[in-house]
Amino acid sequence: MIDIYTMGIDVGSTTSKCLILKNGKEITGKSLVGVGAGTSGPERAIQSVLSSSKLELEDLDYIMSTGYGRHTIEIADSEMSELSCHARGAYFQFPNVRTIIDIGGQDAKVLHVGDDGMLVNFAMNDKCSAGTGRFLEVMARALEVNVEELASMSQLSKNNITISSTCTVFAESEVISQLAKNTDRCDIIKGIHRSIASRVGALARRNGVIDDVVMTGGVAKNRGVLHALEEELGHKIYTSELAQYNGALGAALFAYQKLSR
Amino acid sequence: MTDIEILLAQFEEIANNPKKQLEQYISEGKKVIGCYPYYVPEELIYAAGMIPMGLWGKRGNPNKAKEYFAPFYCSLVQMNLEMALNGDLQKLSGVVHTTLCDTLRPSSQNFRVAMDKIPMIFLAHPQNRKPEFGVEYTMAIYSKMLNQLEEIVGRKVSAGDIKEAIKVYNENRQAKREFVKNAGMHPELISAVQRSAVLKSSYFMEKHLHTTMLNELNKMLQASPIEEWHGTRVVTSGIICDNPSFLKILDDNRIAIAADDVAHESRSFRKDAPYNEDPIRSLAVQFADQDQDTILYDPSLNSRPSHIIDLVKNSNAQGVIVLMMTFCDPEEMEYPSLYNALKEAKIPCLKIGYNHQITDFGQARTSLQAFAEVLSMKN
Repeated sequence: MIDIYTMGIDVGSTTSKCLILKNGKEITGKSLVGVGAGTSGPERAIQSVLSSSKLELEDLDYIMSTGYGRHTIEIADSEMSELSCHARGAYFQFPNVRTIIDIGGQDAKVLHVGDDGMLVNFAMNDKCSAGTGRFLEVMARALEVNVEELASMSQLSKNNITISSTCTVFAESEVISQLAKNTDRCDIIKGIHRSIASRVGALARRNGVIDDVVMTGGVAKNRGVLHALEEELGHKIYTSELAQYNGALGAALFAYQKLSR
Repeated sequence: MTDIEILLAQFEEIANNPKKQLEQYISEGKKVIGCYPYYVPEELIYAAGMIPMGLWGKRGNPNKAKEYFAPFYCSLVQMNLEMALNGDLQKLSGVVHTTLCDTLRPSSQNFRVAMDKIPMIFLAHPQNRKPEFGVEYTMAIYSKMLNQLEEIVGRKVSAGDIKEAIKVYNENRQAKREFVKNAGMHPELISAVQRSAVLKSSYFMEKHLHTTMLNELNKMLQASPIEEWHGTRVVTSGIICDNPSFLKILDDNRIAIAADDVAHESRSFRKDAPYNEDPIRSLAVQFADQDQDTILYDPSLNSRPSHIIDLVKNSNAQGVIVLMMTFCDPEEMEYPSLYNALKEAKIPCLKIGYNHQITDFGQARTSLQAFAEVLSMKN
């Protein structure tokens, strides 16, 4: 039997992710480059995943692009919205998933998935970076810490403080005010996480939250945000090591489905 | 190019160049009156021998108008004043300023202060439009508007002139309703961009000429065989949806507009003026008969959602796209009841923020593509 290789490319606003699937089941390689649409990121991600999978472009049977920069990938056979791809990727990893919270670099989405894993409806944030990965980056910069440190530092928090959930610019100003008052950074970080949870929680409640809830996207790596969201929504939230690759995974699955048809 | 494409190109040329139309009218010695949204009885302007032109803002960012408005103000209204302050409206002989919402009402006073050289006709429609006292009030304000128009044009307007104008406008409304149906049945021939241009051009044309062109287009569309549509069909709802960049996303994703509940489009030509010996009463009754609009008082609260559900069913659409005008209180306040009604009727709904200032519809593109994918998967 000839193996079928499909590639999913998720070109986000701040990162480029690539994933190759063998026969629609086995992940043979994945790559992530920390720049997204309009940069060399997609090309580098493609080369990287081909190299780690020991494959050539010609070995791929179908390439599906997704994400904000999905239209820019010339080698793609077709493209799909990242919403449909995240639904498919999450269903592949968690067959009982019904609600997906995807927080990416510049947007946040809440998706509902049907019994068959297909996207049923969704809600997206408006043109505002509050409650997104960019929000975390801006806050980390103001606090002079790395984004990766935010989760562990928030666990050391002892006091609840409130940070605005309405606007990144206002929130940054509040963070600076708190720093000027010598508020513990760990408390500020937990406040930032709760701020994101409040914003995304409101988005999730628009269409309702149905178990199982899965979190995808780069922000899912921050367990502080995940736990704040669990508290906000009152639901257990699952995630996986593939959270950031979930869109690319969904694209690769759709690519396989195209071939199967 | 086919005959249909030639006609569509003519409509697009007019819709995209209102300034050229205005210059042409002025060079022909005609007087032009600008009309704010909406329910202006344009028939009175037409009867006075002048040209009514719609003022629905334009794409771009307000600069000078910022002096008069808070940032959280409807972009349509801001851009109307911006056009006036930039001199784009200086050749108008007057402007009819409506006051049907809490944004238009203060804007009318700002316009009066900012543009004292352009005569402004203040048109305060009643919310209680249906009882006899409401109809009489509407007749009174329409009569006052007529007097002001007569002053501008320098002659009296007869009842016969108004009756003739009503006939012309009723014919135009009929042609537009017919076109909306035809466009919904022939999405392969009429793109969302073209559909918008055909309807928008009406705001800048003499109505009898628009009707003549539109009847010709309707005839050609009716003679065209109905082809299977390999895409999805939606009903659009909102104040305005005329940005070609946005509409092209619908076309790119094969989302056809099967029908609409858009103020700039179908809401403005749903009702004809019924015959009455007194033509001013005809126009007042026409306004009294208007319904299912966020800016009109609706004691039942539910007629608009039911109307939109009927539109979806009757036009064989699969979902609704709500173009939510930024900072539009009436539309925002009615959205929850519309959302709940659509949810109950199991009709998928997508809400997208819309205003004249948006230049990048990247996020809307993702939402629309995903919505099309959801609708396709439901089939």
